[in-house]
This record gives sequence, structure tokens and C-alpha cells, in this order.
Amino acid sequence: MERGPEHVDAEAPVRSGADVRVAGLTWRPFGRSRPVLDRLDLTLEPGERVLLAGPSGSGKSTLLRAVAGLLLTADAGDLSGTVTVDGHEPQAVPGSVGLVLQDPGAGVVASSIGRDVAFGLENVSMPRAAMPPRVAAALREVGLTMSPDSPPATLSGGESQRLALAGALVMEPSVLLLDEPTAMLDAATAADVRSVVADVVARRGLTLVVVEHRLDGWLDLVDRLVVLDASGAVVADGEPRQVLVEHGESLAAQGIWVPGVPDPQPLALALDPAPDAAAGRVPHGRVVAAASGVRVEHRSRRLGGPSRTTLAVDGADLEARAGRSVALVGPSGAGKSSLMSALGGLTAPTRGTVDVALPLTPAETGDRAAARDRLAPPDEWSSTDLARVVAWVPQRAATALVGRTVRDDVLTTPLALGQDPAVAGRRADALLAALGLAHLAGADPRQLSGGEQRRLAMASAVAHGPALVLADEPTVGQDRLTWAAVSGVLAAARDEGAAVVVTTHDPGVVDDADRVVRVTAPAQPPPDPEPERRPVLARVGPLALLGAALCVLPLPALLDTWRQGLAVLAVELVLGLVGLIAPGAGRAPQGRLRGVLARLAPAAVAVLGVAWSAWLLGGRDLEVASGAALRVLCLLVPSAFVVGFLDPEALGDHLAQRLRLPARPVVAATAALQRLQSFDALWVELMTTRRVRGIRADRGPVARGREAVVVTGGLLVGALGQASALALAMDARGFAEARRRSWAGPAPWRLPDTLALGAGVLVIVAAVAARLLLP
Amino acid sequence: MSNTITASGPLTRWRTIDLLTCAFLGVAFGVAYWAWGLAYAVPSNAVSAGFPPFSALFAWPWLVAGIVGMLIIRRPGAAVFTELLAAIVSALIGTQWGLTTLVSGLVQGLGVELGFAAFGYAVYRWAPLLLGGFLGGAFEAVYEWYSYWTDWGWGYKVSYLFLLGASVAVFGSLLAVGLTRLLAAAGALNPFPPGQEIREQRAV
Repeated sequence: MERGPEHVDAEAPVRSGADVRVAGLTWRPFGRSRPVLDRLDLTLEPGERVLLAGPSGSGKSTLLRAVAGLLLTADAGDLSGTVTVDGHEPQAVPGSVGLVLQDPGAGVVASSIGRDVAFGLENVSMPRAAMPPRVAAALREVGLTMSPDSPPATLSGGESQRLALAGALVMEPSVLLLDEPTAMLDAATAADVRSVVADVVARRGLTLVVVEHRLDGWLDLVDRLVVLDASGAVVADGEPRQVLVEHGESLAAQGIWVPGVPDPQPLALALDPAPDAAAGRVPHGRVVAAASGVRVEHRSRRLGGPSRTTLAVDGADLEARAGRSVALVGPSGAGKSSLMSALGGLTAPTRGTVDVALPLTPAETGDRAAARDRLAPPDEWSSTDLARVVAWVPQRAATALVGRTVRDDVLTTPLALGQDPAVAGRRADALLAALGLAHLAGADPRQLSGGEQRRLAMASAVAHGPALVLADEPTVGQDRLTWAAVSGVLAAARDEGAAVVVTTHDPGVVDDADRVVRVTAPAQPPPDPEPERRPVLARVGPLALLGAALCVLPLPALLDTWRQGLAVLAVELVLGLVGLIAPGAGRAPQGRLRGVLARLAPAAVAVLGVAWSAWLLGGRDLEVASGAALRVLCLLVPSAFVVGFLDPEALGDHLAQRLRLPARPVVAATAALQRLQSFDALWVELMTTRRVRGIRADRGPVARGREAVVVTGGLLVGALGQASALALAMDARGFAEARRRSWAGPAPWRLPDTLALGAGVLVIVAAVAARLLLP
Repeated sequence: MSNTITASGPLTRWRTIDLLTCAFLGVAFGVAYWAWGLAYAVPSNAVSAGFPPFSALFAWPWLVAGIVGMLIIRRPGAAVFTELLAAIVSALIGTQWGLTTLVSGLVQGLGVELGFAAFGYAVYRWAPLLLGGFLGGAFEAVYEWYSYWTDWGWGYKVSYLFLLGASVAVFGSLLAVGLTRLLAAAGALNPFPPGQEIREQRAV
């Protein structure tokens, strides 16, 4: 094993844990009449390892944030009482209290794992040269053996959590706080993360506080169990096994997974059939949908880099039968979700076929009986046609919410399908009652807790009696109560004749399934061994690229006629093409010109608009119109060459170090730009949800416009959620006071930068010359 | 909004969450701008075929990011930061205006910013919204006179300025206020003044 203690000792000095004293802590978020924590006292000795348990809403996470000194980072309210770590305010020494959050990847700030770990060191202004050994030691300590240049997006969930841990450890904390660190991981991965935590804590003697609602794996690792009740008061505190003997039953009743208490049974649901339901049209045991030989590809685009296509599924088969359930199992990243999406027509496979049983195709059940619909694969069906047959519960229940109230949400699809409101309403109410949501029927679904949202998403998915129910990891992170509800809904759907497909790691769900299909990751095409040659523009720094592209700004004042415009455009094109040349040895890079043309395509619209208005105004003179068109083209062409080579992170480094822009806004902006990809994914997920719920606007500008506003709203809610999680993670690593900081990435100015800027100036010179020399 | 709540602490002392929220709003709006850039061209060109300044009626959505950023964060610079970042993001994904979108983002954000600065960053109601929206639109119009509409006569130019300013002030403000309320109702603005206003209204 590479991460032996003696190996690490040499580089990372060992610090022992600190004592933590919480006295009279009271916290009332604005808008709540009662405090979440009320005069709480708690003392932790140095090196003590504590597991914090309690029902959801008992203030466990709140207490953790208070110990980290970050309560006011992402919330506002009345705070009183004191928290000290070794006698100081928690954030007095940046990074002395490390915090790891539930969502793997929620705290990622950089485009490479090495840079991400270095974030905290930058915030305490460590010189750049001192960073690499510290970063390497931290990565080694958590067992991440890949190159520090690897992008965080390529890590699995467990690896992401270990990366977050490394980011905390590099700051040499004396207290480590873990907020449900394994809730979103499967059992094997969770065990792996726990063993890394155990190693680290033992070696460094850290004070440890873990919040988790699955207690089993942690009990051997801690020496104290503290239980909070629903009002945020400490009701039990002591040796873990002893506390469990006394409070195990009541904890289990409140939803905590307590070892030794038998697993819950799926909730028994008896539902009246939905009116005109698709479920039950295919006789029990017959195939509802079958995918054969499907291939699904994911294209990921990164700013300032090439797009990558990965093979998610290749040549896979899957059958779903009426009244039966299938569990898709396999390691994360094996393509379970992609295969399921292809089966349900949520994504279009690039190869292979998906067949849905005839009684369910739009020709038989839809409004528009057309012969071609009979043959169309489900990914081409209209929103209502798809919704009638397919239900989908994404892993993030929050994105599945579409109604203004809880009851509206459940009734969305039945009403979109034109089901009888009275009958559908009774079924919806029965579902809500069975899932313990009846008292929330009039509430705004976005205000529900995570577990309540998950139950609501299940109810809404099956309300209209779909024939194929797809659920993505439906039980991950759920407490016992929600677990029973989710399994109960799936069982009820199966009993009324639906085919149920779940992706899962949960042994309880696997046991309940009629069939288990193991999915393995397809072999990726091997990377080309010969490296690509880099175009000239790829060797230019971001600031020079930006400057060169912005050199066009004086052009409108300089160019009058189409001849002048044409001359400058020619200069720009020559310079741009020179920039695309890739000298040296190696494989020629692909698609350089295609990229430029693709970026120029939208410019054609702008050019046409300007040319048209100039033509209209300029006495319908073609010379005037073409002059205007060329002038706009001259403004846009340099950007088309340059944009593909701008790396946001490097731009941030340059803006802060060369232009001395304020550090914190620059870091915030680059961190947000790293997440651009996730916005893409969120947009797709929101649109897919609408489509499968039967409310996707298939046509009509007004409907589409309204949908765009609603989905943009959803995108913003998601964005703000990410922002608050990231703010916590960043402040836990010393960002709050990092007005002056160092930078792990250099911002050199080299010869290519000067040349690129020179090329930009050359464009201005050409314009001046054209103005003087050409008519 | 009977009681206006301003940002906590000194107004110029941005918290991490203020910075990140502006940044994430900017990125999200950048994606939305890019999508709007694909969708708006056809109706805009159709409407403005007879009277080119009418294209202003389809240009006001580009300023919503800055207004929303200011309405939420309520600190000096929020409009410029959010709008500029949205412009950068849409340019990096690829808009028809390339990197010159940065200049648009900057002048639009500055205009909106001035509207709120005129009221000392203490008022977040219609007066600064109308003023800021109008200024943002007007600034953008002047930049476009220079860069795109060089052939227009003054009649067109002035009509364009007033059309753009007025449509941002009215439609842009309406959309921004609507989005801010939607976010506050969704509980996404709890750490910010608009979220606190809602929570104080509902507090039991």
C-alpha cells in the first residue's frame, strides 16, 4: 500500500486534534418562529471521534456548520452563543476546521484535481513553488493515484469525496467535519471512503465529527455517539453501542438506519386504477419495451478545449416485461442510467433499436393515429405520447418538480393526458395520503425536505398509470421512512401491470427485483498514442487572445466602404489561418477550420440584419449594404478564430496576476465557469422531465417561450443551490478572507502572446491604411 | 415589498456567497442568452424589416441578468459583474457577436448599475428599476450606433435608443422582478435580502 504512515510523515507534519467547545448556541434562521438549535452545549476533547445522529430537521448539519464557523455563509438568521476551537474562533486559522459535504463534487473549484487541492493553499498565500509537494502528499494520503492534471469531472463519486477530503487535509486541519459524506455513494464505495477517513484520522489524531443517517459503517470508527432530537436538543451522548441499546428503537422509528434493527418493509399501497391507464394493456409477463444492440454516446464540451465523445453504452440489450421489475446493477459509470434512458425514449441511441409493444405505441393510444408513429422509436414520440407510457424519476428529485403545489404536481401528467380530473384526483389523494404527504398537498413542492421531494417525485411519476416506470437510484440517501415509501410505490406500479426498471446499488432493492441485469462499462476506444500537434493559437495565453480579438473595436470608426472592409477582412483571415497552423511533429489536429466556421454561422444572422437595414436606409444601394456587412464581419471574424482556444481558468490566472483584477471575484467567476457543463446537464434534465411528464411544449412560439422562462427559472434555482454549497466549501478552505492570495497557476507572458497581440494591432494598422489608400 | 432590506454588513464587503451567486447567475444567464441568441434572430429580423429600430423590442432580454443580479445581491457592482459574466459565457459558447459581446455586457451592466447607484443602493423598487433599465438600454444603443448601425440616420438612432431603453425599463424589469420573486418563493434566496423580505412576511 502506497499510503503508509511513515511515507506521509516525511512531508505532512502531524498535528493533533483540537478541542471544540460549543456553549449556549442558538440559531434561528429568518422566517422560522422557533430556533433550530436552542442553547446547545457540547464539548469535544482533542482527538475525540463523534458520530452525530438524529432525525432530519434536527439541526445536525446546522451544528456542523456552526463548528466550522460557517453558519452565516449560506444562510441568514439570529445567532448567539459561542463556538471555540482550541480557544479561538473556528475560522481564526483558515482551514483549521475541515468540512466535507454530502454531494460529491459540490466543492470543486478548479479544472484539475491538483489545482483543486491547492485552492486552500492559495487562500493562505503560500508561495507557488511550495504547493506541489503538499498537494501530492494530500492526494497520496487519500489514495488518489491518478495524475494531478486529471479533471475532477472524470472522478467517480467516491473519488470525488476523497478529493474533497484531500482539499481539507492539505490545510492541516485539527478538526474534521463530515456532513453525510457517504449518503450519495453505494455501499462498497462508502466503505472505501470510510476506511480512508479512518486511516487519516488515526494517523493525524484529528478531532472528528460525522453526521450520517446510516450508522452501521461508522460505529466502529467513532468513540462517541451524540443523538439530537427533532427540537435540536441533545437527548443521548455516550459510548455508541450503549447509546444504541437505549435509543436504537426510537432512532429507527424516526428514520435512522440503526444496525441490528431489521430493514423496513415496502409500504403497502392499494391504488384505484388510473383512468385510461397504459399500465395493464400489455398482459403480465409480456414485453413492454425492448432495447437491442443500443449504443449511447455522450458528448462533453469543455470551454477552451476539444469536445470529447465517450461511449456510455455499447451493444446492450434490455427487456422490460409487464408486471415485472428489473434491477440494473454495476459500478458507477457503467452506463446503467444511459441504458435505462434509451429504453424509455429519453435519449436517442446512436445505434440499435428500441421497440415498444404495439398496444402502447402512439398509433394505438395517442391522439394522432398515424402509420409512421407506429414505427417511430419512442425518442421521437411527442411529449404526451411518451408520458402516457413512460414514467421517469431522476436521481435528483428536486429537478423532477413541475407543479405549483404538491397536489398540482401529482396531477400534472394525468391532466396533460386528459384523464378524468375527478378520478385522477382521487388517485392522487390516495397516493399522497399513503406517502405521508397529504398534509402538504397545498404546499409549494420546492419548500419540502429532500426526503419529501423524493416521495413526491415517486407519486407524480406513477399517478397516471404508466406502463414503463424508470427510476434512477431511487433509494440512495433515503432514510428508512422514505425508503419504505419509494419501494412501496415501485411495488404498487408493478402490481398494476407496469414494467419497472431501477438502477441501483441497494441490496434491498435488488432483493425485491424479479430480475437483475449486470451492466458493465463498454470498452472505450483507445486514445491515439501519437499526440496531436498544437496550433499556434493554442500556444498563446488567454489575455493576449482576448486582447487581439478586441483590437477590432476601433474598426467601425475606420471602415467606410466595402473595399476597405474587404481588405481588412482579408488581413484578418490570413492572420487567423496562420494562427491555425500547427507546426512540429505529431498527428494533425482535426476540425480546426470546421470549428471556426461553426462559430461564424451565427454571425451570418447578425451580418444579414445589419446589411438589410443599411440597404433599406442607404437608398437600396448594394454598395452601402455590402460595406455594412463587411464592417460587421470584420468585427466578428477574429473572435471566431480565438474563442475556441480561451481557457477560462487560465484567463482568471492572467486577469488576477497580470491585470491585478480583484482576486475574489475572479476566483468566483472561474469557479462558476468550471460548472458550465453541469448547466448543460441540468437543462437537459429539466427538459427531459417536462417531456416525460407530458408538458413539454412541442410547438408554438408562445408555449415555447413560456417553457423557456420556466426552465430558465429551474436552471437559476439549481445554479443558486450550487453557489451556496460551493460558498460553504470555499469558505471552509479559507476563501472568506482571501483578498490577497497566491496562485497555483502561473501567468507567463511569452513570445506567442506578443505576436498575437501584434497581429491584433496589425488589423488596426491595416484598417488605417485601407482608409487612407482605398476609396 | 413594504420594507426594503439591504445587504448585510458594509455594502461593499461582498461575502463569498454574494460573489458566487453573481457568478453562477452570470453563467446561467450566459447559457440562456446563448439560447435566446439562436431563437430571437428570425422574429427580430421579421419585425424590424420595415422599421429597423423595432429590433429593440427583441433586444431587451440581454439586460435581465444585470437587473436580477442587482435585485438579489444589492451591493455596488452586482449588475456589472453579473451582466459582464453572462456576456463572457455566451461569447465563449458562441454568439453571433463574438467577443465584442463583452463590451455590450459591460455597458449594459454599467447603465443598470447607475440607476441603482443614483438611489444610493438603498431602494429596490420601480424608480431605480426604470432608471437603470432605461440607462442600460440607452448605453447599449449608443454602443450599437457606433459598432453596427453606422449607416442609420439620427431619426432611427434616437428611436432605437428610446425603444431599447423603454423596453428594458418595462419588460426587462418585469421579467427580472418576476424571476427574483420566483427564486425567492423557491427558497433559493434565503441568504439574500429578497429572500429575507419574503421570509419576514411569512414569519409566524
